[in-house]
Amino acid sequence: MDKIKTSPLLLLIARLVLAGIFTIAALSKIQAPIVFANSIVAFHVIGPELSKWVALLLPWLELVTALGLLVPWLRRSSGLCISLMLIVFIGLHTRAWIYGLDINCGCFGKEAAAQEFKYFWLIFRNCGLLVACAYLYISDSRNDRLIKQFKA
Amino acid sequence: MSMFREFLIIAFLVLLGAGYSLISGLSPLPWTEPELAPGEIRLSDARVLEVIWVDARSKIDYEAGHISGAVLLNEDDWDGGLRRLMEVLMVAPRPLIIYCSEAGGETSKRVAKRLRQDLINTEIYTLKESWAGWTK
Repeated sequence: MDKIKTSPLLLLIARLVLAGIFTIAALSKIQAPIVFANSIVAFHVIGPELSKWVALLLPWLELVTALGLLVPWLRRSSGLCISLMLIVFIGLHTRAWIYGLDINCGCFGKEAAAQEFKYFWLIFRNCGLLVACAYLYISDSRNDRLIKQFKA
Repeated sequence: MSMFREFLIIAFLVLLGAGYSLISGLSPLPWTEPELAPGEIRLSDARVLEVIWVDARSKIDYEAGHISGAVLLNEDDWDGGLRRLMEVLMVAPRPLIIYCSEAGGETSKRVAKRLRQDLINTEIYTLKESWAGWTK
């Protein structure tokens, strides 16, 4: 883990990009929860009742963790939450692709593209964000450890 | 700060935000009966989506006025309407929203039911407010 080189500028860019993307995604879903709930139902993983709770809570989790990435004492747990969300999203998109579902992913409220490209792009994008998240998490954990060692 | 405390803070802020959504009316109460029938969509929600509008009214009504870009598809000329719709759908697949002139939207529901049999993999909704809601 310590062998991964970190550049302060790269870390800042990764943090800002992740925070920006998740903030934009969250705000569009907070404004249109019913559209998001319909998108969730279209994945055929959970029912309409549970989808309403997910549509209520998930956008706020995205927003809080996105902003949390910019807060020093919240950034590790926020990074972990975002990583877990991304892993779930990648799994859901892969499943929908395999089953040939023609869905609106709901990520930013509205998205429309040819199905094959859409899934490829969604999975590729989320994998990229996951790598950025892992990079942030590793460097933040290392920084926290160094600070503890310095204080000791 | 321990990770557990960080997660508690995140959970608290998420609940606070969800509470704001419920109190401000942004989100309906999840435990109440839905205002929308299955397959229905509100005009306010439909406006934020990129969709294909399907006009299920008569040709006379359609020619008198329709949503910009809407495809005429009614039960009088099903095959012709379906052909026009496919031409649009093949260019850029998008969800379909069907509207008619009735308040209950019975015609649009019938058209939606028939379309769901023909276009299995397409998201299809009926507009709750119908044409009257659009012209308000």
